[in-house]
Amino acid sequence: MNKVPCFGQPVDKFVATVSDEVYHSVHSASAIKSDKRRELLARDFPDPRRLREIAGQIKRHTLDSLDKYLPLAVASLERNGAKVHFAADGDEARRVIHQILQERGARKIVKSKSMVTEEIHLNDYLAERGIEAIETDLGEFIVQIDGDQPSHIVTPIVHKNRRQIAESFERHGLGAYNDDPETITRRARKFMRDKYLAADAGITGANFVVAETGRLVLVTNEGNSRFSLAAPRLHIALVGIEKIVPADRDLAVFLNLLVRSATGQQFTAYTEFITGPRADGQRSGPSETHVVFLDNGRSEILATEYRDILRCIRCGACLNICPVYRQASGHAYRSVYPGPIGAVLSPLLAGGDFARLADLPKACSVCGACGGDACPVCIPLSDLLLRLRDKAKREHASLSARGVPPMGGFAELAARPVLWRGALSAGRALNYFPLDLAPVPPLSRWTAARTLPEFRGGEFRRWWKKRHHE
Amino acid sequence: MSTQEAIFEKVKRALAMTRERTAYPVYDSADFVSKPHTTGGTVEEIFRKNFAAVKGVIVSDAEELRAVLAGHGVKKGCCDAALTVMLQGLGVEWETSFDRARLDEYDLGATIASGAIAETGSLILRDRATPDRLAALAPWVHVAVLRRADIVLTLPEALARLGDDPYTLFVTGPSKTADVEGILIEGVHGPGVQIAWLVD
Amino acid sequence: MIVPAERAVGKQVQLMATCLYDAFFDDVARATVQVLEYLGCEVVFPEGQTCCGQPAFNAGDWVVARKVVRHAAATFSGSGPIVVPSGSCAAMLFHGAALAFEHEPDWPAVRELGARTWEVLDFIVSGLGVRKWEGECRKKIAFHSSCHLRGTGTPAAARLLLGSLRGLEIVEHAEPEQCCGFGGTFSVSFPHISANMGRLKLENIRAAEPDLLVAADMSCLMHLRGLAEKLGNPLPVKHAIQVLRDALSAEGKIK
Repeated sequence: MNKVPCFGQPVDKFVATVSDEVYHSVHSASAIKSDKRRELLARDFPDPRRLREIAGQIKRHTLDSLDKYLPLAVASLERNGAKVHFAADGDEARRVIHQILQERGARKIVKSKSMVTEEIHLNDYLAERGIEAIETDLGEFIVQIDGDQPSHIVTPIVHKNRRQIAESFERHGLGAYNDDPETITRRARKFMRDKYLAADAGITGANFVVAETGRLVLVTNEGNSRFSLAAPRLHIALVGIEKIVPADRDLAVFLNLLVRSATGQQFTAYTEFITGPRADGQRSGPSETHVVFLDNGRSEILATEYRDILRCIRCGACLNICPVYRQASGHAYRSVYPGPIGAVLSPLLAGGDFARLADLPKACSVCGACGGDACPVCIPLSDLLLRLRDKAKREHASLSARGVPPMGGFAELAARPVLWRGALSAGRALNYFPLDLAPVPPLSRWTAARTLPEFRGGEFRRWWKKRHHE
Repeated sequence: MSTQEAIFEKVKRALAMTRERTAYPVYDSADFVSKPHTTGGTVEEIFRKNFAAVKGVIVSDAEELRAVLAGHGVKKGCCDAALTVMLQGLGVEWETSFDRARLDEYDLGATIASGAIAETGSLILRDRATPDRLAALAPWVHVAVLRRADIVLTLPEALARLGDDPYTLFVTGPSKTADVEGILIEGVHGPGVQIAWLVD
Repeated sequence: MIVPAERAVGKQVQLMATCLYDAFFDDVARATVQVLEYLGCEVVFPEGQTCCGQPAFNAGDWVVARKVVRHAAATFSGSGPIVVPSGSCAAMLFHGAALAFEHEPDWPAVRELGARTWEVLDFIVSGLGVRKWEGECRKKIAFHSSCHLRGTGTPAAARLLLGSLRGLEIVEHAEPEQCCGFGGTFSVSFPHISANMGRLKLENIRAAEPDLLVAADMSCLMHLRGLAEKLGNPLPVKHAIQVLRDALSAEGKIK
């Protein structure tokens, strides 16, 4: 990797610190998943784009009528015997969950992978209160024992290789060093069994909540979610208010697109449909089901021109296809949600703290592959990223402006033809040119890696004049 | 005002200015059915093909099952009480109540499938039809007894029949992960072997 | 991408030469004029033109971007087609500008500007109905389908026209949909990522062993050729319109 002086954007700075090993893991995993997604969709459906558009419309419809669907979902869940709670923000969600656990004397928790619990940093909160919450998904478990952060919303340890994982297992008493993936998996299986059996509660997210029937839908591959809903007596699901879909039939739309987009599979190994506590006569499974609906900034986003970001079904396809994510990897985004979805969602969820993450929407070459090719619900991601750049500028977010050439001089020229022509002929345009090709940092950052073509300002105009005015 | 009321109110306000609410699209669920996975045979033939593609094993009689179980060294199993007669003579020592304290002693769990989906090669397990979720989950091998008539062709058909069981599972092949370097490993927390015994 | 469903057609066209070509790539603008005139178009070059506003738009300075777009709208008056030999400038006018003007009173005027704007290859095929290009080009070319062509008619048009040249072979490269890493100001505010993306693109292209890299956007080509040259292994690049023009010149059809 070339080294040029860093006074640019934070995500770019981060890239300079990414090891070749991490880069290769992330890059090849992303490319493989992207190819697989495209291949499966093309193999199975004559017009995948149309299906994505329908899925996007269903989501947009649901959001546009969330004032109807959210109460409907609540009524359906309650009818099924689930207990419904609401949390305005992360703090309230943590307190609500803690209180449910505390009232039942629950001290040991098994957790099935859930991005929204990452969003509210639930594990740390519970740990501080003497409650052990163990991540049961293999990747999330490794993240947890390493005190790391997931770097991808579907494949959390895509930034780690088997040697690092084997070392973590050894450090945490899960056997002598062995980097065979099968051995690692078997050891996790064995370790986790005791945790499931000892657990007082299982905490999950939900991929979808069906308003009409009050069904929670969970898709996983490892079987950890089913175990978390089989051994313990208490189930708590934390769900963003945007996770609702209207009816059971819509699940065919979303399951088909979600799984292919997320892992390049036709269908996940475990697809669970839960309406409430276990059936009479069923010996395993929760006797209580609690659903905690989380707002945490979502209703604010709903009110803005960023509403479409709430369509997201967390498949990770936009990460996998994104050329910037492939270079930068997930941790570059300094937030729970990386990649294009994160570059839009994270600054918005930060609310009043927008400026802290206002640079993320700039970490994008506006190639449009995320929304145009990948997103299963057709979120216009690059439009949203561009709008956020405008928002950052209007709100004077300094981080967003770092390393970006100012446009004021360019505007003066570009709106005044006489000045423009003069500048072109005189070569002065170099100083105000869009690329800001001045003998200052932007130019050196261009020329550090590339040559410049010959400056030929005004040549075309001279040719034109000669040809048409002779 | 409760948090619930406050959030409902915020949502209502957020949508108040929406000029035109997007309508629910008219679409045909059949468009979301994979043609290559639902054509080229009878429903049973298609199920067999797709179940095998997700590494499921299909047996049609006790003899076949006995051979498969022997191949996995199965000795001890837990089955639904309703299956005890059917599962005799397989060389398996059966219990009909799953003792979670001895979770790792069971090599096999046998349950009654409520159905299957040919398109995806999935078995459908319901809470009301299986007495213990753990029995179909914890042992390395899972056998589901599946009536041919209960196989539906497509995912939309299966979704239409979800009904009011509090917990329905579509299980598709062995439990699996690709978390370590994207390498597929089967049998993570759930069974590494999924067997369907087709009966009339 | 919002691509106008119905666009102005006709042979009276206004040329938008683009700021980049005004400064660096005059021959591309020239080739555009020569090809359009060969096809019987009457080409007008409004001399007051400057830029489409995209640099400021992508940089997030929409106040400036709108100022520049308004200037473009005033400069390219009338109702006939506006033809631009750059997919990304075209996309700015029919998609980007629409976004930047969402809450502006002159949004309709800007939409109207977009609905008249064509990328030149798309215009030749879909606007003028040309299906085949006479001439010869004995070269293996790689075609970089730049990002702003996504969802437009240009990639198909380019392949149709280039592919019909005698002796020309389009060699396919891996990961064709991957961005080259230029991205306007992105190239200088994200220098590491931009250069890494470009090098990956170059690797994929070189693996296909083309004689020439062709695109419908000189911005991508400026970046890629600059990277290749800096790496000490120059890669010949041309805009597709230059390839078409050169084929006409070689046969003496234009001077």
